[in-house]
Amino acid sequence: MASITYSNPREIDNTVDVPGRRSTLVTGNQTFSSVTEMVCRVAEAPQPTIWYVLFGFSSLTALMFVSLIGYLILTGVGIWGNMNPVFWAWPIVNFVFWVGIGHAGTLISAILFIFRQNWRTSINRAAEAMTIFAVICAAIYPGIHVGRAWLAFWMFPYPSLNLWMWPQFRSPLLWDVFAVGTYASVSLLFWYMGMVPDIATYRDRSKTPLRRFLYGLLSLGWTGSSRHWLRYEKAYTILAALAAPLVLSVHTVVSFDFAVSQVPGWHTTIFPPYFVAGAIFSGFAMVMTLLVPVRSIYKLENLITLRHLDNMNKIILATGSLVGLAYATEFFIAWYSQNMFESFAFMNRAFGPYWWAYWTMVSCNVISPQLFWFKKCRTSPIIMVIISIFVNIGMWFERFVITVTSLSRDFLPSSWGYYRPTMYDGLMFFGSFGVFLTLFLLFCRFLPVIAISEIKGILSIEAHREAHSHDHH
Amino acid sequence: MSAKKTQPAVAEKPKSYGWMSEYVDEHSLLAASRKVRDSGYTKTDAYTPFPVHGIDEALGIKPTILPFIVLCMGFVGLAAAATMEIWMNAVSYPYIISGKPMLSIPAFIPVIFETTVLFSAFTTFFAMWGLNLLPRFSNPVFTNPRFDRVTNDRFFLHVDSRDKYFNRESVRELLAGTNPESLEEVVEDSTPSKFPTIIWMGLATLLVGSFVPATIIANMRASNDEYPRWHVFFDMDFQPKKKAQSTTTIFADGRTSRPQVPGTVARGQLEEQDPFYLGYDPTKIAGITPANKVLLVSSQDEPKAPSLDAPVEDEAAKPAKETEKANDAKKEEPATTAPAAAPAAAGPNLPWVTDFPVAVSSDMLVLGQKKFEIYCSVCHGVGGDGDGLVHRRAEQLQQGYWLPPTSLHDPRIRGQEVGNIFFTISNGKGKMANYAAVLTPKERWAVVMYIRALQRSRNADIQDVPVDQRAKIEEVKKAD
Repeated sequence: MASITYSNPREIDNTVDVPGRRSTLVTGNQTFSSVTEMVCRVAEAPQPTIWYVLFGFSSLTALMFVSLIGYLILTGVGIWGNMNPVFWAWPIVNFVFWVGIGHAGTLISAILFIFRQNWRTSINRAAEAMTIFAVICAAIYPGIHVGRAWLAFWMFPYPSLNLWMWPQFRSPLLWDVFAVGTYASVSLLFWYMGMVPDIATYRDRSKTPLRRFLYGLLSLGWTGSSRHWLRYEKAYTILAALAAPLVLSVHTVVSFDFAVSQVPGWHTTIFPPYFVAGAIFSGFAMVMTLLVPVRSIYKLENLITLRHLDNMNKIILATGSLVGLAYATEFFIAWYSQNMFESFAFMNRAFGPYWWAYWTMVSCNVISPQLFWFKKCRTSPIIMVIISIFVNIGMWFERFVITVTSLSRDFLPSSWGYYRPTMYDGLMFFGSFGVFLTLFLLFCRFLPVIAISEIKGILSIEAHREAHSHDHH
Repeated sequence: MSAKKTQPAVAEKPKSYGWMSEYVDEHSLLAASRKVRDSGYTKTDAYTPFPVHGIDEALGIKPTILPFIVLCMGFVGLAAAATMEIWMNAVSYPYIISGKPMLSIPAFIPVIFETTVLFSAFTTFFAMWGLNLLPRFSNPVFTNPRFDRVTNDRFFLHVDSRDKYFNRESVRELLAGTNPESLEEVVEDSTPSKFPTIIWMGLATLLVGSFVPATIIANMRASNDEYPRWHVFFDMDFQPKKKAQSTTTIFADGRTSRPQVPGTVARGQLEEQDPFYLGYDPTKIAGITPANKVLLVSSQDEPKAPSLDAPVEDEAAKPAKETEKANDAKKEEPATTAPAAAPAAAGPNLPWVTDFPVAVSSDMLVLGQKKFEIYCSVCHGVGGDGDGLVHRRAEQLQQGYWLPPTSLHDPRIRGQEVGNIFFTISNGKGKMANYAAVLTPKERWAVVMYIRALQRSRNADIQDVPVDQRAKIEEVKKAD
């Protein structure tokens, strides 16, 4: 598989590893101005028809979601299928699903930055945007799934004359408030800060006074001053260093929602690393699902190259294998512990009434990413989108299996029951995708989808390296 | 500071802020920057589309103190979160949860960690923009349209006119020597700038609109209204349940409280109404007067002469007892005289049951004996004399406040109706606890039967004993 031929002239195969030569991350002999042109064209040129089609569809879905939320608040949580004994069902599954997806963006931005992975520069902006939108979708669920959503502000430690008491800081549900709140706000700051130089680029290219005003406002008067760049870079590094443990801690705290309880199948110390690995796994899959169409619709294959996709697929393979290892470990401990409740919990997962969910999860999460061992799969956009969709389906089912099987059959058989979702569960989940897609489409239309200044930075490095290697020859 | 020579005559000469040179790539910029630095200029800056490596060294820019600010604020965040949690959950309103420690530091750590990161991150963001003195929307560097390429692909070097050593000509010469793409002065933009129409119209609308809610609220506060305030979230304030005295359309008679269905017995109804459970007939309460009371005296016992030991001992041993005791003792002989002035026995004046509602049988008496010996004999003694083990122990301890248990052979007790005795067993009297919880009504009636048997045994004649048992009695008498 030395080279892959494509009919698309922009699709250049830079996945080949030649010893002593780093492959280029920006293909097609780009210059600074051609990079600027390529990215700014996304927002400046008229949107392709597919954008309007998708936007119409997603905004209708988002509207449905908002009206269902209104119906939920007016009627009550009874419209969902939450019932004895599974009182925590789809809403919490959806929350963990969306929060997990969000973590990939921060990982790409922060952790890959710390690891000096220059290839992150093509994907970090879109991934961070995906994080923000995923966290928005996630944060909706805890707010509405409490019985009285209009009192959700009681979770915050404000001096309440009404309650005359403070929140319970020993509860993981409250740790969630702080963790997800911190994560949402820090991700927002990081994303916005990263965009300021690129919004300045948009400002300087604006044709209409309105655009210039709005982009000028958002870019805070950025001039590209080196003194500013130096503080900016320092701040970026610090934020990356802060966001890295944040990624790990936030999904750990989310896993504590389950791990801190006593329910068999939940009360296990494997949950924090297992959840974090799963979050990165599903997040990268979602990034893949979004970016592969984006790169081909907006003709960005020279910036989001095959090597970038290849690297992302390797991460998907690695984290997918980690998740598979976690499943195996759980089974081992269920046997090794000789704890009858623990053993039963896992037998029940695989062979009980929810066996169909369990095997969907295993086939999607463990088996499908193993296809990425093959280079053909790793570098074929169609195959990777299909696999990434399967991965997301599998990860949703993983959270479903964890939550519902353990609740539906815990310690006392007389308490067992079978859970069924209602149509509102499904419609609202579907609606959250509408919100997500709407926001992402708006992002593509108005904001820089790729970190232009960072790409130029690595273009400069590559040119420098090129010049030096020629000197040495 | 310096006069403009090349600008056409305008009303105001735009101020100059020094020279700006433009370069095509970062290497020329770096070379030029080093030259400028080495010439001793410090109020300089470079403008680039991306951060150029080595520019800080080339221009002599010192590192920023931002990391230290972030570190300090991180500690502040840590302290704030720890203080908040400890004060709120361990001092101000401690949650007492199955003896777990109030100061549960491990449980507090997640919030402390997140808050530290939160404070640090916010500080990083705001301090960075603050140190950069941004947002700054009006900047003379933007005047030159060539500068628009700074965010695209051109690199600029600026020597500010406010530099200590600034000299317009020498700076111009220095920069010209670096072979820039262009070299122009930085001037202030004197063209008028207005917000785009739609923006200021939108802002004006928002501003005017922001007064509307305040006006509405002020109006509502200042005026009266016949309607109650808006109640948005009902919670459970209006419940569709029916309260006892309310009307309803569900039933034809419009009452919510329904009469008892004929032929049914409500839960607890018997215990409230049936003399078997009460010891008295509640329907006859109205008919009780002292005059009638005599008719209710139990006919099972003839009032006999008080036996030698019981009443005398009782009187001696119970000095705190009411004088009614003495009255009762007197009342005993003329059982049939109407005791006009005699007050009722210590206890309620109720229409007691006089006949046993349960059939008297030897099974009942055996049951009564068993239960009496289990529950009653500890105080009242096996023979009913009030000399049970508890009493004897109390006498031993001599603590001075012991009220001796009543002897069941006391004429007052012998004169009580069976219902009264049943009532005493069920509800207790004075120091005596109630035994309704440990004895079923049937068992209590059995105990009353046994008590009557005991009482009879102290007031019987040898003629009352069946012939074939008399020999046994003679033996027992001799053993005494």
